[in-house]
Amino acid sequence: MTLPKQVLQALAGIVGSQSIRVSRTALETYASDGLPTHHRRPGAVVLPDGRDQVVRIVEVLAHHGVPFVARGAGTGLSGGALAGPDAVVIVLTRLNRIIAIDPSNRHATVEPGVVNVHLSEAAAPHGLHYAPDPSSQTVCTIGGNVAENAGGPHCLKYGVTSNHILELEVVLPNGEVATLGSRGGEPWGPDLVGLFVGSEGMFGIATRITVRLTPIPRQIQTLLADFSSVRAAGEAVSSIIASGLLPSALEMLDRACVAAVEASIYAAGYPTDAEAVLLVDVDGRDAGAVQAEAHDVETILREHGARTVRMATEESQRARLWQGRKKAFGALGRISPDLIVQDAVVPRSALPDVLERIADIAATYRVKVSNVFHAGDGNLHPNINFDRRNRDEFRRVEAASAAIMSACIDAGGSITGEHGVGIDKLRYMPLMFDGDTLAAMRATRRAFDPEELSNPGKVVPVHACREWSAARSLRRAEVVA
Amino acid sequence: MQQLARGEINPGDTHLAHHLNRCLGCRACESACPSGVVYGPALEEARSVLVKKHPLSLLARVVLAVMADPRLRRPLLTLSRMVRPLARFGAGKSAIGFQMGMLAATHMIPNTGEHWANDATGSGGRLRRDHHEPRLADGPRARRGDAAVFRGCIMEGLFGHVNAATQRTLRANGFTISAVPSQGCCGALHAHAGLNEQMKQLARRNVLAFSRVPDAIIVVNSAGCGATMKDYGHLLAGEDLASEAKRFAARVKDVSEVLAAAGPRIGAPLEMTVAVDPACHLQHAQGVVEAPQAVLAAVPRLQCRSPADASHCCGSAGVYSLVQPKLSRQVLARKLENLDAIAADVIVTGNPGCIMQLGAGMLARGQQRPVLHPIELLDLSYRRAGYYAQ
Repeated sequence: MTLPKQVLQALAGIVGSQSIRVSRTALETYASDGLPTHHRRPGAVVLPDGRDQVVRIVEVLAHHGVPFVARGAGTGLSGGALAGPDAVVIVLTRLNRIIAIDPSNRHATVEPGVVNVHLSEAAAPHGLHYAPDPSSQTVCTIGGNVAENAGGPHCLKYGVTSNHILELEVVLPNGEVATLGSRGGEPWGPDLVGLFVGSEGMFGIATRITVRLTPIPRQIQTLLADFSSVRAAGEAVSSIIASGLLPSALEMLDRACVAAVEASIYAAGYPTDAEAVLLVDVDGRDAGAVQAEAHDVETILREHGARTVRMATEESQRARLWQGRKKAFGALGRISPDLIVQDAVVPRSALPDVLERIADIAATYRVKVSNVFHAGDGNLHPNINFDRRNRDEFRRVEAASAAIMSACIDAGGSITGEHGVGIDKLRYMPLMFDGDTLAAMRATRRAFDPEELSNPGKVVPVHACREWSAARSLRRAEVVA
Repeated sequence: MQQLARGEINPGDTHLAHHLNRCLGCRACESACPSGVVYGPALEEARSVLVKKHPLSLLARVVLAVMADPRLRRPLLTLSRMVRPLARFGAGKSAIGFQMGMLAATHMIPNTGEHWANDATGSGGRLRRDHHEPRLADGPRARRGDAAVFRGCIMEGLFGHVNAATQRTLRANGFTISAVPSQGCCGALHAHAGLNEQMKQLARRNVLAFSRVPDAIIVVNSAGCGATMKDYGHLLAGEDLASEAKRFAARVKDVSEVLAAAGPRIGAPLEMTVAVDPACHLQHAQGVVEAPQAVLAAVPRLQCRSPADASHCCGSAGVYSLVQPKLSRQVLARKLENLDAIAADVIVTGNPGCIMQLGAGMLARGQQRPVLHPIELLDLSYRRAGYYAQ
């Protein structure tokens, strides 16, 4: 244990002995998130019961210069919520109150530990919902969604988390409480909410979040199309986007994913002999208009060789089709003990080529890659199934991951769409950004967190030489100033 | 648990035991798991390793020992039955008060009156105990086959009226009941607590006992027992009795499954609202979800409602309510809130532990709403219909 005893005593004094974890076994629970390839045991874990305890915890840690990491449900997929033995994990799942729902102004104020789907359930009686719907929405928390700027299938039409956050109450890394943004509309000055959302815990801890609520679409039609090649499905996606149609969701699953889903309790009736299936939602207010749009989508799908196109309007049928998609990552657990869910974005026109390139990479490194992803956004999720205990396979998996990332960047894409950089993608950041850009990112972070105590060692690599020197000169400048 | 199995965590680790012992074992995770992880048996396996280093509390050991041995169980439960009419007055919020409430809750349909007064069938709102085993009034329907009712330990000792109702309703639906005298406790509570050896002994006894009626369906009215008995095939794998145990497991059915499959005979109407709280070991462990409501659909005018969070546990969870009383009560409080939201005349759930837990919770809050086994309502409906000659 490398944390000073007086820090642990002070923390126990704040949260009570029931809500602090220091034993090796208890800390093991917090040593990984949804990505099994990283493992770090924190020095301690605290589970505060409200904003005031969070403030007091952060004050104590700031006073002693102890780094900390905020954590929600731990479903992140980039190792963002991990902390080393010198740091404290602050778990926010007990801050789970929905403080207010304001249907006439269409917003809700929640604590960060509220589970994404619980918010939508609470808003449903008002005909409203919280639009960003990550696949982990039955478990993941709004706080984590804010930190990662989470997406989801329906973000194609409705936008990602940052489009839905109005106001944030945040505990800054020195324990000060600040309010960013405004629930009433756009505040003057810089867009601090935009800066905070997706900052992966580097700027502080959000303790109260006001989100925009969106009307539940009155009419929704779901289409399920299956293709005998991945390329054809990819081309159908590109065509739909190019046609100017705007489905509310446009998802693809390949053969391996379909097989895993259909073997699970979430079997959705996807055709198991297809090379790829597309799941498309079209929504709107008017039944006729929605039907007309669905018809247009169907025409494009058939033009690109869809073998069958099934339509579902009834809620239970739609729910079943969507459950299959949303539980696909979990269902892949049937194939092997470990799974990497990768995340990258490519221009939608490049989808067919990139998918073929990924298949080549899988063959080269002899790894099991399957794809289930937000095709309409060009947001890929190549999944790699493996067994960590097989060292050789693990090395090939890591190499294949890196090759996939390079392929996406080469196609003009980015290394993450919605899962964040965390620790897993630090190594790819220099492929995307030059030293000056990284230095600017670091300088921004230090404006919020001069001591770099809040989620240290994540997102911005500190080992790139140019970045180091830039940071050093920055520090010198500070000393001079 | 993975690290325990691989020897990376020492079974003596108190923190591991602390957290694993706080798991309800409600197996709701299994109903949600896309990967199909069978968590319940894995938890029991882990607990069987832990229990060697972390002995159970005295109270839990006494309860489990009593249930396993009919020579201890019968006199003690008879004594409990004698005290039971008084238990209601001792029921309350304290630890003892809660246990008194649990005992009081095992009583058959209570004659508190108020909730039953609106009953359209007009039997005066009071439901009296039926001492003699009734004959079928209009003769059995088409023969459905043989059924052997598993009597259980708690079910036999404190819920004899539910066992009797089970037999009556099965007969009324055309089943022939075979008696199986040498059966005993199923061992579910022992398995949940990690006492594998005791559980296996009990399992062997039941497999042998029921092998005498090889063609009968083994009908269980306790969800917890049913879940464990359906697993006997795995539990006794590799033993002499393995193949017999497999056949036994395949014959085990919850009473609601049996009646739902038979298409239950329609009874007399009961004008009341029922909150149907599904037992975890029925909905999650056995995957029986629709059957209880299908059985109650045979009672005209009965309004069935599901509480919010119906998939959540009530905190009973075997001996959990005894070994983790504080957490168990917290889990219960949430369940009661959701049940309160339904203005039900009666609550039904298909497991004795849940009946006791919910009943005690109601009594602790001064509420008189009865908590029953669903089969008791069907039985009442059949009696009103005159299917049983007095």
